[in-house]
Amino acid sequence: MGIERIFGDSVITTSVQAVVNWARKNALWPMPFGTACCAIEMMATLSGRYDMSRFGAEVIRFSPRQSDLMIVSGRVSIKMMPVLLKIWEQMPEPKWCISMGACASSGGVFDTYTLVQGVDQFLPVHVYIPGCPPRPESLLDALLKIREIVDEPLATAGVSRGVSSEAATPEPVKGAT
Amino acid sequence: MPLLPDDILRRLTDRFGDRILPRKSPGSGQAFALVAREHVRPILAHLRDDPELAFDLLADVTIIDHLQLELPEMEGHRFAVIYILRSLRQNHAFEVRARVPEDDPIVPSVHDLWKSALWGEREAHDMYGVEFEGNPDMRRLLMPEDYPGFPLRKDYPLRGRGERDAFPQYRPPGVPTSPVNVTAGPEEARETAR
Repeated sequence: MGIERIFGDSVITTSVQAVVNWARKNALWPMPFGTACCAIEMMATLSGRYDMSRFGAEVIRFSPRQSDLMIVSGRVSIKMMPVLLKIWEQMPEPKWCISMGACASSGGVFDTYTLVQGVDQFLPVHVYIPGCPPRPESLLDALLKIREIVDEPLATAGVSRGVSSEAATPEPVKGAT
Repeated sequence: MPLLPDDILRRLTDRFGDRILPRKSPGSGQAFALVAREHVRPILAHLRDDPELAFDLLADVTIIDHLQLELPEMEGHRFAVIYILRSLRQNHAFEVRARVPEDDPIVPSVHDLWKSALWGEREAHDMYGVEFEGNPDMRRLLMPEDYPGFPLRKDYPLRGRGERDAFPQYRPPGVPTSPVNVTAGPEEARETAR
């Protein structure tokens, strides 16, 4: 933000960071990458019965430039992978990623020639959700974990840039249920 | 008047003689016509143009790989190109299969008889690598354009030959990739079939 240059690592900058993180975690705008049945569960999570807006994440944006939370819900084929990468790279920093369901996390039952065996080979995934497909409660739990990650003091400092490499990949928080 | 597949097969053998091999599907018992590939076009044109047969719809073009399912009449021919026909006017259906050898996998296209063959033949080529001579658009349909190999062939490994891990086309420059082994495959599948 630039104020670090004036105030250094003082109480003012850390407090501003806390306020920014508070705002960010309560207004996550998801980018839905729904390619399969997990997307149906994601829609159910957004609808009135489970109501993701209770946690401030109801504003689904179909433009990556307006979102900061990628939800990969569904299987990703080797032909789809460049599309996912392009969308991920269009999202502005800071950004977070949920790998929803068995297919996005590991390929699931589709242990075949055409399916990417886990999107974490290409994206830095912050929260994995097991299940085939996961219940809406699991997605809400993952959202709460993302909120905890956003609230970490240095959450906005060094997240995730583009294609994952060993150095840039943050420590994933395993297991949301 | 709808006709049964056996009746349609009898009409075909009456007209085309020994160019038609009458066969029954081992699973359903339904009759179909097995033909050599050079006779496919006149027979299909007759099926379409005869007013009592009137097959106005080519529902799909697909292929069976007879690598492990060896039948005596398929001797020396690995692929059977299947034309699934429907008649909306006469309300009946029929199936024609053309034998194709492995070392020369070419069949004449029927896209001028039914336009839907453009799509069916393109998908069949994408999955089995059989060329349809005369089809103006033989690009890949479902697989990536630079995908090596034809994945529904029976000697193609289910998990691929490393394409899903290698991504030479999608990795950014500088990121090392593992090479695709384009010859790897369960050769034992071919041997056990013999």
